[in-house]
Amino acid sequence: MHKVFAVIRREFIERVRTRMFWVMALLGPLFFGALIFMPILLSRAGGVKRIAVVDGTTDSTGRQVVGALGATHAVFPTRVHAGGDVIDSLTLEVSEKRLDGFLILTDALADSGKAEYRASNVSAFATNAAIEGTLSQVANAVRLERAGVNPRIVAASHIRIDMETKKISGTRTTGENAAQSFSLAYFMAIILYMSILLYGVNVMSSVLEEKTTRIVEVLVSSLRPFELMVGKLLGVGAVSLFQFLIWGVSARALISQRTRLFGSQNFQDAGQVFQMPAVSADTAVVFIAYFLGGFLLYSSMYAAVGAISSSEQEARQAQQPVNFMLIISFMAMFALLNDPGSQLAVVLSMIPFSAPIAMPVRWAAGNLPWQEVAVSLAILAVSIVGVTWVAARIYRVGILMTGKRPSVKEMVRWVRVG
Amino acid sequence: MSDSILVLDRVTKRFAGHTAVDELSLEVPAGVIYGLLGPNGAGKTTTIRMIMNILIPDTGRVRLFGGEGTARDYASRIGFLPEERGLYPKMRVLDVLTFLAEVKGLDRRAARAQSSDWLSRLGLQDWSLHKVRDLSKGMQQKVQFIATMLHEPDLVLLDEPFSGLDPVNADMLLETVLDLKRRGKTILFSTHIMEQAEKLCDHLCIIARGRKLVDGTLGHVKETHGGRHVTVAFDGAQGNAAAVFADRRLVARVEDFGQYAELELAANADAQEILRSLVGSGARLARFELTAPSLHKIFVDLVGPDAMTAVAQERGAHAHA
Repeated sequence: MHKVFAVIRREFIERVRTRMFWVMALLGPLFFGALIFMPILLSRAGGVKRIAVVDGTTDSTGRQVVGALGATHAVFPTRVHAGGDVIDSLTLEVSEKRLDGFLILTDALADSGKAEYRASNVSAFATNAAIEGTLSQVANAVRLERAGVNPRIVAASHIRIDMETKKISGTRTTGENAAQSFSLAYFMAIILYMSILLYGVNVMSSVLEEKTTRIVEVLVSSLRPFELMVGKLLGVGAVSLFQFLIWGVSARALISQRTRLFGSQNFQDAGQVFQMPAVSADTAVVFIAYFLGGFLLYSSMYAAVGAISSSEQEARQAQQPVNFMLIISFMAMFALLNDPGSQLAVVLSMIPFSAPIAMPVRWAAGNLPWQEVAVSLAILAVSIVGVTWVAARIYRVGILMTGKRPSVKEMVRWVRVG
Repeated sequence: MSDSILVLDRVTKRFAGHTAVDELSLEVPAGVIYGLLGPNGAGKTTTIRMIMNILIPDTGRVRLFGGEGTARDYASRIGFLPEERGLYPKMRVLDVLTFLAEVKGLDRRAARAQSSDWLSRLGLQDWSLHKVRDLSKGMQQKVQFIATMLHEPDLVLLDEPFSGLDPVNADMLLETVLDLKRRGKTILFSTHIMEQAEKLCDHLCIIARGRKLVDGTLGHVKETHGGRHVTVAFDGAQGNAAAVFADRRLVARVEDFGQYAELELAANADAQEILRSLVGSGARLARFELTAPSLHKIFVDLVGPDAMTAVAQERGAHAHA
């Protein structure tokens, strides 16, 4: 036990001492912060668009549109008369960046709901949505008035709808909305995927280093290969937990300062795509449980990969099947988010190789019974024991082997013969 | 021998295609320097790996310290220098040594103290906080020796310890090994360089193609396998020495260089009788000396030119533990 502890400590201390660890520790929150705040920053960076409204309407519709657009504060409209070569000169203005774009209006707006917007950037969704919303409002009003409805009634009928979504968790209705659930699931999947991959590959490199330097001969003559492997898994696992601790603490700090950093108003408007989820204690437990499970499962496979390779290049090749399983689990996230209760989702969250990502995603996205989590964790635990057992047998022979990589047939024999 | 610290009893190891070690038996008494000699590919490294429990013998057994345990059970009492050297390149010297000592069973504080101690002893104290990869090759070799010996093992196994050493480090290692012996430790080392073996070994075992050719004390091996030799130098007159040399009852083989000759005595022949015959024949002698053959000569005679060039098959062989 003393010897295993020495291995654990070496793995932990040597890793935490590296520059790479602290780069990850400090840049990790920045990276996740960027994911969270990028939409806010981007929407602010857009600013107010200067656009021209080419008014080809024969009634007052054009004027009304300009007035309504001005009221949105999303664009700063200028009305120009249609005709002549106005389109060409406006196009020139846009290309010379004196203007962001121009809106071409004709009677077709009120007649059949058609309008045209030309701009240097037509994928600014916020701007497009603001213009479209305004046009539809004005067109509706004009049509109602044409049908004889009192303009005052038309004006009074305008009401802004703000739909709030709330997630039902168990029998409780939480304050969490759909966007928050989505972002929580999304972040968990990204972090799980990246961490399992990163620390799994760490285990692999560590095995490979001992093998290529031949120091492993000295080590296995002092402690059992299994003890060595377990020491590595636990040591690297401890590093990853330490990393999460750093991230958790800095994320809390960032979130608590978000209002001061970005201003409350902007934050409310811009957080439409990504919102800060409320991470409950339950969620944290599920996350850590599946991270540890996934890490142990995958890193014992990575350890075996390291053991059968004799160089970095060989290991890069040999790790592909393992990477692949992880990538599939990650990609499946998008299907899971769409329908967390589907048959596929349930199956993926039970298969031990995809469960470490699939189950936390389902947990975050939907209302999930504890029993399912328990069954999935039980399957995962049993699989860890099985996979580690197999990996340890491959590891034991592999680390002392030199020469070419063993075939699958040979590895099967190692596992069988033990 | 009841005080044997290491006994191999008909140990055999086969790899796909060939037998690396074939029914090898040997005994290493406590407190000696034991040489495991053989050409490349003879099975030396495989033998040492089996002693270290890195490889499991197909048949036969290895007995350490008169007990039943494997090398792993006695890890704290054994020091092992593998044939291919290596340390953690990114670790600090002191940390590597501390870790390796801990793995051998020392507690952390003792491991650190011993490491510092050894580093000072070999003049590396200023490097203890440097990374291994910043050290010169010679210094790394020293660090590796320290790693082998710092837990004060009773039995030290060195696989080709002198290969790749510069003369200064080779001397340092020689001194360290002799010092270990003076302190009552047992050392087994493998080599294919006979000059070193001759300087160091009390006991030795010569193997080739996985089989033992001869073992015993250095004196015993020389006596039984080298034959008895006489070097004769003339002081002018040779008399009828040629007739004496031609007498097959006395001389088995002769290399006559004129003023100087090397004789191999015939079985049961008495060197004194040759001396009497030579003097009687009228020869004037400047030198008449009974000499033992070099280990190198015995080795070449036993192993033969074939085996000397045998390919190193044990490299690249798969280790089926």
